[in-house]
Amino acid sequence: MALPDIPVVAETGALTGNARAVLGEVETLLDGLLRTGEGGIVDIRGLPLSPGDRIWLLEQLGKGEVEIHLDIGGRSRILETAYPAVWWIEHCDEGGHLISEFIQVAYVPELISAHPDDVESGLEHLRNRNADLS
Amino acid sequence: MSDNRILETLAGQGISRRAFLKYCATLASLMALPPSAGKAFAEALAKAPRPSVIWLPFQECTGCTESITRSHSPSIEGMIFDMISLDYQETLMAAAGHQAEAALHEAMERNMGKYILIVDGSVPLGLDGAYSCIAGRSNLEMLKEVAQGAAAIVAMGSCAAYGGLPKANPNPTGAVAVSDVIKDKPIVNIPGCPPIPAVITGVLAHYLTFGSLPELDHLGRPKSFYGETIHDRCYRRPFYDQGKFAKTFDDEGARKGWCLFELGCKGPVTYNACASVKWNGGTSWPVESGHGCLGCSEPDFWDAGSFYKALSMPANPLKLAAGAAVAGAVAGIAISVSNKARKGAAKTGHETTTLADLEKHHE
Amino acid sequence: MNELQFLTWVRGTGLDIAVAIFLLGVIWRLVEIYSLGRKKDLAAPRHTPGASGWHTIVRRSVPPPGMFKQSPVTYVGGYVFHIGLALIVFFFAPHIKLIEGLLGISWPGLPSQIIDLVTVVTLAAMVVVLVDRIKKPVKRFLSTFEDWFTWAVTFLPVLTGWLAVQHLLLPYTTMLALHILSVEVLLVVLPFTKLFHAFTVFGSRWYNGAVNGHKGVPV
Ligand code: SF4
Ligand code: SF4
Repeated sequence: MALPDIPVVAETGALTGNARAVLGEVETLLDGLLRTGEGGIVDIRGLPLSPGDRIWLLEQLGKGEVEIHLDIGGRSRILETAYPAVWWIEHCDEGGHLISEFIQVAYVPELISAHPDDVESGLEHLRNRNADLS
Repeated sequence: MSDNRILETLAGQGISRRAFLKYCATLASLMALPPSAGKAFAEALAKAPRPSVIWLPFQECTGCTESITRSHSPSIEGMIFDMISLDYQETLMAAAGHQAEAALHEAMERNMGKYILIVDGSVPLGLDGAYSCIAGRSNLEMLKEVAQGAAAIVAMGSCAAYGGLPKANPNPTGAVAVSDVIKDKPIVNIPGCPPIPAVITGVLAHYLTFGSLPELDHLGRPKSFYGETIHDRCYRRPFYDQGKFAKTFDDEGARKGWCLFELGCKGPVTYNACASVKWNGGTSWPVESGHGCLGCSEPDFWDAGSFYKALSMPANPLKLAAGAAVAGAVAGIAISVSNKARKGAAKTGHETTTLADLEKHHE
Repeated sequence: MNELQFLTWVRGTGLDIAVAIFLLGVIWRLVEIYSLGRKKDLAAPRHTPGASGWHTIVRRSVPPPGMFKQSPVTYVGGYVFHIGLALIVFFFAPHIKLIEGLLGISWPGLPSQIIDLVTVVTLAAMVVVLVDRIKKPVKRFLSTFEDWFTWAVTFLPVLTGWLAVQHLLLPYTTMLALHILSVEVLLVVLPFTKLFHAFTVFGSRWYNGAVNGHKGVPV
């Protein structure tokens, strides 16, 4: 008998009401972003959300125009929601398991932007390459 | 080696800054810290030097080592091993015999007062510690020596934290916890049989970031992982509250995923992070797999009655009851016999008082 | 000793000792009381309607005329907390489970929400009864240490049980252990204090009724 054949149903689809609170939090963060330029992050795993809550939340936030895939020690995905500056971030490990999940409120998620130190060493590489080429 | 900065070392292993940021964010999430802590982790860890770690295995089954190392690299738990300089670990190191001993002493001298000591396994005190020796020296002797130069000690697993399985009644080897031997060093207990890999990662990351041990509860456990019971975070909790319990491992309730309390789940009294962090890379955890919690992160869990007996039930069969009932009956009968005898004596001793007697008294 | 070890002790050794003392005390006293015996009343019984042991059992359970008005708290409070206690002890699912484990018999319990409500009402009634005892000069005058003590050992198990279920004040483990411990204290003192009325109340009522009925006096 394969695992899916064992008829265990955990009734976890119910809504707990906690997802509503997350939406409220996102609203506050967005408002803050506009006024002070400072957004924020909500840790999805840190909240007692049922699987049903999570799906509901994803539905409420909807899908925007941008979807970014990163290959950084396992895949990661950054999705723009229907609300500009609200991003859904999923991190997976090398085995493809979801290991953490966040909602970030920011004009651009900082994970995307390059770090000056890295830019510097990159520039150095490029200079060397150009020197080699010429 | 140990002076290398962490981020440089990681870069040398092909781990990018973004991967590192992702790691830190996940770590903060695992530790139930606010998301902003991920940033703090990243900033501090990037600059922190790699600390030297000495790992001593005592009276143990190697299950703890398995638990940590099987969380295969480069998983998030495994990444921590890239951040520390593991200078001595008998099970993992290639060196053996005198070479290993030399490595231990070299690591100790080089990092005197700065290294972290990880201990798994209990320390047997019986027969002067002869029950468990390494290189002809007892665990007790070795622990005392190595602890002296340690900045902090991590007692990993229930054996090192509380004495563990070796200490189970009647404790033939006189096993004790690390904290029973060492009193003058900061000790953090990471109990569990075995402990959750992410927890040791979290504790080391905290130490690397803030240079101190995380906040501990009264049993020396990091509050961020052991702050809530299994029951508090259990997804079967709604069934518990509704009074829906599985009565056997194969009934309708079990199939529907109802609460396992009546099958002996110790979740309500067990402080651990299984319900939120889960096991095997987040795949599942005992209650999700249909088995109650055994209470493995609590002291003496193996002596706390059967794993399959509900918490509201007597831990052991009542041994005195029958004897007490008989004793009660005997006492009752004995007293009633004595009462009867007194009554009888009173009857025979009874004298009839006449008016004349009373008048006599008056005179 | 940490809280789990404490809990294990009260579930194990502690329970064993408490149940043993309880059984010993109860059986001892019952045997002692019922073997006392009385001399036979040689007078011919007078049959007065309403005078018998059974009648007294019922009649003593309802307030005599005028008494209810005089001390309503005693009657209402007393009834509420006695019925409440019985419901909690015998119809809370984990308690039934315990009895099943000890004696092998079981029956359906009440939903935990109802037990919860009953518990709050019982606690309130017990507090009211206590306040009444303190405030009424006559009652206070008649009260001895035993009265205060037995009130406390009856109140504590209900209170700690409720706190444990509600996850209040102390961690569940400690509260549960304290609850079981307080019940054990109750078990130990029950046979040797006025709490023994749990076993003797109807017997002694019947006896009084029967003796007086014989004489033709309904009580
Ligand atoms: S399965 Fe165990 S931890 Fe989960 S709700 Fe039931 S008693 Fe609590
Ligand atoms: S569920 Fe309980 S027994 Fe199992 S690993 Fe977690 S704490 Fe230990």
